[in-house]
Amino acid sequence: MTSNTSNTWEILDLPPGVRPDPDEYIKAAMEWHFGPDTGSPYWLERAKSLDFDPRTEITSLAALVRFPNVASELRTVRAEDLIPRGYGENPDVRGVFESGGTTGAPKRVVLHGDWRRRLLHWTGEQLDAHGFPRGANWLGIVPSGPHIVGEFFRGSATTHGRHGFTIDLDPRWVKRLISGGRGGEADDYAEHVVDQAADVLRSQDIGILTVTPPILDRIARRDELVELINDKVRAIRWGGTQLDPDSRQVYRTEIFPDTVFSGNYGSTMILGFAGERPGLGDDDPCVFDTLSPYVTFSVVDPETMRPVPYGERGRVVASHVSKSFLLPNNLERDLATRVEPLDGGPGDSVADIAPVSRFENEDVVEGVY
Amino acid sequence: MPASASEEPVQQPLQLDALGPRGEFRARNRQVVPDVTGAPAAELSLVPPPFVSRAHSALRRAEPAPPDERVRRIAAAAGLFATGTVAGLGVAEYRLLVSRVGGVPLTEVASAVDRIAERLRDIGTGLDRARPAGAVTDWRDPLVRSGRAAHTRRGDVFAVHAAGNHPGTHSLWPEALALGFRVAVRPSRREPFTPHRLVSALRLAGFGNDEIALLPTDHAGADAVLRGADLGLVYGGEDVVRKYGADPTVLLQGPGRSKVLLTADVDWRDHLDTIVDSVAGRGGTGCVNATAVLVEGDPTPLCEALAERFSALPSLPPEHPKAVLPVQPAAGARALAEYVGRRAEGTRPWLGADTVADELGDGSAVLRPAVHQLARADAPQLGAELPFPCVWVAPWTPSDGLTPLRDTLVLTALTHREPLLDRLLADPTIANLYVGDHPTHWMRPGLPHDGYLSDFLMRTKTLIRT
Repeated sequence: MTSNTSNTWEILDLPPGVRPDPDEYIKAAMEWHFGPDTGSPYWLERAKSLDFDPRTEITSLAALVRFPNVASELRTVRAEDLIPRGYGENPDVRGVFESGGTTGAPKRVVLHGDWRRRLLHWTGEQLDAHGFPRGANWLGIVPSGPHIVGEFFRGSATTHGRHGFTIDLDPRWVKRLISGGRGGEADDYAEHVVDQAADVLRSQDIGILTVTPPILDRIARRDELVELINDKVRAIRWGGTQLDPDSRQVYRTEIFPDTVFSGNYGSTMILGFAGERPGLGDDDPCVFDTLSPYVTFSVVDPETMRPVPYGERGRVVASHVSKSFLLPNNLERDLATRVEPLDGGPGDSVADIAPVSRFENEDVVEGVY
Repeated sequence: MPASASEEPVQQPLQLDALGPRGEFRARNRQVVPDVTGAPAAELSLVPPPFVSRAHSALRRAEPAPPDERVRRIAAAAGLFATGTVAGLGVAEYRLLVSRVGGVPLTEVASAVDRIAERLRDIGTGLDRARPAGAVTDWRDPLVRSGRAAHTRRGDVFAVHAAGNHPGTHSLWPEALALGFRVAVRPSRREPFTPHRLVSALRLAGFGNDEIALLPTDHAGADAVLRGADLGLVYGGEDVVRKYGADPTVLLQGPGRSKVLLTADVDWRDHLDTIVDSVAGRGGTGCVNATAVLVEGDPTPLCEALAERFSALPSLPPEHPKAVLPVQPAAGARALAEYVGRRAEGTRPWLGADTVADELGDGSAVLRPAVHQLARADAPQLGAELPFPCVWVAPWTPSDGLTPLRDTLVLTALTHREPLLDRLLADPTIANLYVGDHPTHWMRPGLPHDGYLSDFLMRTKTLIRT
């Protein structure tokens, strides 16, 4: 493929809702990201140290495993260097976003308008399938930045809903307080966040709540807020951190029994999130599907990096391949159960996400209890 | 009987459900509770954070029953607990489980179950004794017309991080229920059967699901059980003291470090039974078992005698009718033995670390008594409290003063020196003083264990009406 006609890139620009053949798509994406006129300065430079030529040797989704995990390089790369040259002089950049920074300095990504539209279209379909009413006001208790969740909250609130009300949240500050032994201050901060949300819930017609599990737990401690939500809110969308299956069950069946309850498994490094599979039963694990082939997961044994069998647990490897961004083969911190994707689609679906567990301390402690 | 052996149903592990505001809750997240051989004995449902939040909310909203009704229900629960079939378990099955899982000798479990029931049947008397003599409990009391102190709760919801070392520890917290608190119990994952049975019996006896709850959690979820309550009770060692020591809403049942003191005016030979019993009686796993013995004079003959007496105790599985020593999984027992060996450096072992873990060959090990002689009363081992009969014997002289005797849950003083008794009684860090031949684990209903629980749960206020 040598020409750069618009026709060549058509498969990268399919209308939202149309899913390309995964391997044809990957081939075109490799041409784009590693073509001298279209690729980003970062990837064109990085390609020089690869021991393969992505344009000729990465011809399928499965071949993405040949890429090294370059995620940590995104801690220092200039944002401009991540923008594919093929977008020309005036790319439709909607923002630069950062990972959580839990495992070191934050990593940065650039969000483009085309990917934002594609993901919002897909998530809108998912919200419909879950029974989120259209045209409601949304309240988001999520970081407005630098993480990408705030941008997608505003997007969904204003395309699927009517107005987006926001209460900001700074998880990095909370982590710093806790790691510094200042748990009391972290509590105060979280209660401050809930107080602000309470004010919006009392005074406004909020139909959709977007929230993290730790904040939802604090909300559930206040009878008044539980009643307000059961009175007004038709759907809750949770994400940002994980929710254990028992908590999910208690929220769905006991605390908010008449409210749609749906989760996201998000990451700035995939420029979005995977969404809870609509129609799961009470006894089903919480399965998340991706917008493949743009975002794909693979659940692997971290020792061998080979996929575990369906139903087994392993580490999540995430790949993002869109016209706007390439980050293949990124080993996430999370453990998940490998689940068959919908409709035989490419990649894995994942369930029961949990952070990598640590062993409990077995040292002898003096005392009789 | 048509079923062949291969068609017999697989025996399900016993399920210990959480007991929440809507009744029993079987979690997906269940912890295997092993017996002393490591074989699974039960699965304990661990509740998630929002479950704890909602349980506390329900407890807080509930109105307590009238005082007489509460006392009646607790007495009824005592009978069910000690003799009935509760949550599918007869009392014999329950006692066997506690023994096989907790490693406490079965005879001691049976005795503890009876003592718990005895105390709960008469809980009202215990509360009367604990109340300030001048205080009334109801504004309708005619004495109030001239002004009286009223005894009132310091909160509505009480949480307990329960202990798992000995079933007897569960006779304390029901007093809070009797006083009108709603109570959330987080069982020890080491022995959850006793609180599960007691909470179940209290519910059968009339307490509502919103008055008493059993909320098992993992380590990370434990704080939430305390956080939602007004007042809490926590059992634990130094780690727990560090964590909660500064929190005025938490009552700590920390290290016991119970001790026996013998002065030169008594002959230790006359009190050997009391000393042996203090160290190893009641299974030897309690905070009221003696950790240290201080002797005015040469402790060597006493050490020799103790070693001889303890050596004669049999190593038996905990359910054996003649078992008297605690049993633990072999790996844990070996770790304890190794710890004792390190801790005992510089001391004279009479029964040392090498004989502590006596493996029974089924994956479990008896924890045999350890006796170490210390050179001085201020030796650092004196407060090293371990969950089996492990005693440190040190010389003491009046010039050592009270310092080595301080920070003690129960001090048995074998002495006739009255000025010394005056000082021991006055010392605020000695929680209980037993003079003469009373083993350190002696307890009776109506007497305080570490102060009366109601000293912490209640307050007085002036009440007058016209």
